[in-house]
Amino acid sequence: MLLVVSAIAFVLLSSAGGDSVSALRENPQVSEQTVERLRSVYGLDRPLAVRYGAWLADLLRGDMGESISLRSPVSRLVFSRLINTLKLGVTGLLIAVGSSLILALLAARLRIKWIDRAISLIVLVTASTPRIVLALFALALTVALAGSAIAIRNDSWAALFLAAIVLAFPLIALFLGQADSELKRAMKLPFIQYARAKGLSETAILLRHALRPALNPLLTIFGLSLGALIGGSVIVESILGWPGVGALMVWAVRGRDVPLVMGVVVISSAAVWLANTLAELLQLVNDKRMRDTEIDR
Amino acid sequence: MSEQAANRNARLFRPARGCAAAVLLAFALVVLFAGFLAPYDHTTQSRQAISAPPSTIRFRDGEGHLVRPYIYARRLVDPLTFRYEEIETERYSIGMLVEGEPYDLFGFIRTRTHLIGILSHDPAAPRLHLLGTDSLGRDRFSRLLIAIRFSLLVCPLGAALACLLGILFGLLSGYAGRLVDTVMMGAADSMLALPTLILILAARAAFPLELPPMRAAFLLVVIFALTGWAPMARLTRGIVRSLMESDFVLAARSIGLTEIRIMFRHILPNAAPALLTQALIMLPYFLLAEVALSYLGVGVQEPEPSLGNMLAAAGDVTQLTLRPFLLLSPAIVIFIFVLAIRLFAEESPNVGREQERSG
Repeated sequence: MLLVVSAIAFVLLSSAGGDSVSALRENPQVSEQTVERLRSVYGLDRPLAVRYGAWLADLLRGDMGESISLRSPVSRLVFSRLINTLKLGVTGLLIAVGSSLILALLAARLRIKWIDRAISLIVLVTASTPRIVLALFALALTVALAGSAIAIRNDSWAALFLAAIVLAFPLIALFLGQADSELKRAMKLPFIQYARAKGLSETAILLRHALRPALNPLLTIFGLSLGALIGGSVIVESILGWPGVGALMVWAVRGRDVPLVMGVVVISSAAVWLANTLAELLQLVNDKRMRDTEIDR
Repeated sequence: MSEQAANRNARLFRPARGCAAAVLLAFALVVLFAGFLAPYDHTTQSRQAISAPPSTIRFRDGEGHLVRPYIYARRLVDPLTFRYEEIETERYSIGMLVEGEPYDLFGFIRTRTHLIGILSHDPAAPRLHLLGTDSLGRDRFSRLLIAIRFSLLVCPLGAALACLLGILFGLLSGYAGRLVDTVMMGAADSMLALPTLILILAARAAFPLELPPMRAAFLLVVIFALTGWAPMARLTRGIVRSLMESDFVLAARSIGLTEIRIMFRHILPNAAPALLTQALIMLPYFLLAEVALSYLGVGVQEPEPSLGNMLAAAGDVTQLTLRPFLLLSPAIVIFIFVLAIRLFAEESPNVGREQERSG
């Protein structure tokens, strides 16, 4: 799949209208010879298939070429940014998963009507607040409070949390809605009745017996939401000035820096795929004995 | 979601659904009559009113009598913070259905009548700015209306195309079964898991940055369709698989109908309600993708306004501190639209939960 995506991306990027060097043609001070020389330096004059083959061979050796606009190796650029994005993404995920689980557990334990309603409302609001809207409001708020944007344009903890909350916001809707309904469903399974008959406390039943079967569907959407998380980081990072892969991607697209775009596409896709596989593995670990009890599916 | 929870939601949101429908209708009207509702052309600059706050509309004259609404002319007093002062001797009345700058209603009827405007033919008359002006002196309210029209034309188009692709893909996959099904759904699953916005950006990078608005819009529609078909394919395939086992399909097959006929005349109509809800829920994602691209400067470019490139002005921090709510007005519009769609589609919340994409 990665191969297919990279091939399509490569062909698209290389075939349609111009490359990062051809923009120089519009500059009257740059002669045609210079442009041609630059094109041969970067290998842009070779046929497409050859270039893709060379790129692929380099990739297998761990070399993704050199960024044309930043003049440094793509792999180093992307990996250093990837760490930042991972930091942001993991914090965001922790916030989203943590707050949704706590809220859903509370609702399942207390069973009070207004908490249920509050959860429906939270799901609705978080689901309909796009990250771009929230990020801009966060920026406005910081500017209003701190007087300038410099306060968030560095990698302090405050900046990390602000960006992570913005990133986590739409995910809360996803996780909270799912966790809430799955927990309620799990509480009606026969073995919960059995645990109750044994005289276990409600809290123990909830945490020890109901949580486990409820966790699996959560892991599924967890895997599915990772792609969205990386996509969302493009917006959040650009607006709040977090130096991650998303911001790098925007830079690369604006500069039409093909090696860099390819690098980001391949590495972020690979990262998402890896995390997805991890989520599936976790599901298997969690699912071992639960498979038979998933009756009312 | 459990039945109980679904009931709970239905009770909570029933009146809200009516409101949501009304809001969506209002958006549709804006799309149709943007030029008429906008007091001015979205590209006209007014050098006397740069980054001006909204006009203060007055309803009472000096003695406190109700009169025809009017505004005062304004003068820039502080160019650093863009503070304006009203000149109380120059009064201009506001009228309905006034003559103004020419525009094309529905894209082809040339007319000059605007819903509201200043009743004055003096070229030096102040302009009516309901939401103030941007840093080039263009009327923000007019730009917002035109932006809504643009965004709400492009996104449903992209969504429709993506749905069409997804439905065909899902039908084929669900109907063929076996190996074809496995391969096609594998492709759809990989597509779902990939970072969509990154793919959209990569596809966008293949084309020159500066594009005329119409070509940019067309390009966006195509890119959205090619990257957004997967959720629809997944859903269609699931429904087709379950419908294939129903009695009416067996009946149709036993009276000897062709497979194509069964597929399009018997299975598709039964799947339609769920697919429609899904299409509705997908709409905001396309809107947000357009907003994101235009915000980042790779979507629709100035002077053509779109919700995204209007928001890009909010990146200017000095402007943002001065008038945050005016600068963020496109963001508020986006929020209202997404909320309305969500509320309207709330009937089958299960469908929406499965996808969480760009934005």
